[in-house]
Amino acid sequence: MTLAGRNLWIAVAAVALGQAAVLGWMIWDRSSLLANGREVVLEVIPVDPRSLFRGDYVILGYDISRVELPAGAPRPKRNAPYYVTLKKGEGTLWTVAGAGAEHPRSVAADEVVLKGKVDYVSDAADRADARSVVGVNYGIESFFVPEGTGRDLERMVGDKKISAIIAVGEDGTAAIKGLLSEGQRVYDEPLI
Amino acid sequence: MSRYAKRLDRDLVRWREAGWINTDGEAAIRRDVAAHASKLELASILGVLGAVLIGFGAMSFVAAHWSEMPRLFRLALIFGALFTSYGIAGVMFERKHPYFAHAAVLAGVAIFGAGIMLIAQMYHIDGHPPGAVRTWALGALAAGVVLRSNPALGLAMLLIALWSGWETTLSNEVHWSFVLGWGAVTAAIAWQRWSGGLHLAALTLAVWIISLGYVLFNGDAHGVVVAIGLLVMAAGISIPIVEPKLEEFSTPAIGYGMAIAFAGLFALQFWQDTPLDRLILLAVVAIALVLGVIWLGLKMGSRGLLWLGYAGFSLEVLALYFKTVGTLLGSSLFFLSAGALVILLSFLAYRLHARVQPNAEVAS
Repeated sequence: MTLAGRNLWIAVAAVALGQAAVLGWMIWDRSSLLANGREVVLEVIPVDPRSLFRGDYVILGYDISRVELPAGAPRPKRNAPYYVTLKKGEGTLWTVAGAGAEHPRSVAADEVVLKGKVDYVSDAADRADARSVVGVNYGIESFFVPEGTGRDLERMVGDKKISAIIAVGEDGTAAIKGLLSEGQRVYDEPLI
Repeated sequence: MSRYAKRLDRDLVRWREAGWINTDGEAAIRRDVAAHASKLELASILGVLGAVLIGFGAMSFVAAHWSEMPRLFRLALIFGALFTSYGIAGVMFERKHPYFAHAAVLAGVAIFGAGIMLIAQMYHIDGHPPGAVRTWALGALAAGVVLRSNPALGLAMLLIALWSGWETTLSNEVHWSFVLGWGAVTAAIAWQRWSGGLHLAALTLAVWIISLGYVLFNGDAHGVVVAIGLLVMAAGISIPIVEPKLEEFSTPAIGYGMAIAFAGLFALQFWQDTPLDRLILLAVVAIALVLGVIWLGLKMGSRGLLWLGYAGFSLEVLALYFKTVGTLLGSSLFFLSAGALVILLSFLAYRLHARVQPNAEVAS
């Protein structure tokens, strides 16, 4: 069975436009999250601070990547969604105010809920305070260094502490919006 | 000239000289063969290979992460390449060059995948890589169905396998959604009546079923795999009796069923720590299985089943050798028993060979 005539071109256009629409949707989804999401500033814990931006991409660690399991809460399953509520602390940085497997019913005006995925749950027995720790991935752990900018970024950052500006959408999806070095913006994610 | 055509060429001369067919008959047969010959040309193969290369090119382009180009330009390039590929596909379909058209469709699907990767990289999207592969697979499936393109459907099947394999590796649990994706692509392949694609689908499903043994019930479900394989084999054997119309599916079902059952038995014997008495029992079952398939292959005149049986036999014997040599049987005893088995097999083959000779040639 082969296509011919007008049907052929309708089919070709449908496939090309359909696939282009999927790509376009990805871009729109992300740029609208960056443009409209609430901003949260998180301290970055670099894995190797000296060569943070030298490679093609770096793995960023955060304080909120390890969340204490609230007392009495059931152990979450691996890869299950996990919601972490952040509250603006002293200065610009945000800290964990609550966590759970369900989206909290009420969120205060100065709080933001991040949706993550359970990476691992460490056992309570291993820790002195007998609390389990949940390792959470938020999808903001990889940063692709734009080629050629790694050195500039590195020079600007030096030994200073880095924090990340995260845009958080209504549903808790997070995206890296920019990087701060001691309060100064060193990288801004362009929308398009 | 294909192997079949070469052989027929020799036979026709022989038959004409024997007086079984006249010159007109010979000419008519030759014309018929020429008209129905598979038109797999070098140009078409090169076209598909070119499309694969373009796909890899697009992906390396993404990996290079060019910063000299502004982001908008990079995106425009991806969209431009996407529309160009499908545009070329349309023109080639119209000019009746289907092979080039399918190559262009394949390139379009590859560029779609590169686009997904480029956008994920540009926006630091780090959510769930297998999800991106799934999106790519769906794009390939859509292109395959709408443009009636078998190569795109083949790529969709490979991507479904990649997606499922990745998900299984990440979660170490059975990836049931595979069945949905596999079913959708297989339905499209069946609708296209593409027999090569059906083999690809069967192979993908077989690998998934075998993988069940390693993830279901804490990785101890190889018995289930063996049972499924034997059921598929039984279905394959009973097809010609129950529904003669579906006879063409009989041999493949036996082959894939045997491969599944054998892989399960293999894991039971050599992947796990098996006590000796159980190992011997399983080895006997495995050897009975491969001998059974060899016998079926001879009986049904299927060279594919024969080779599958031989391959299974060799694998089984080799694995047994490595597992047992020096520890319990001793290498000489092992070789003696294996040799006796092979001789038994050759005797079996010799006895049956004369009976299946004519059939075997037709089926191959």
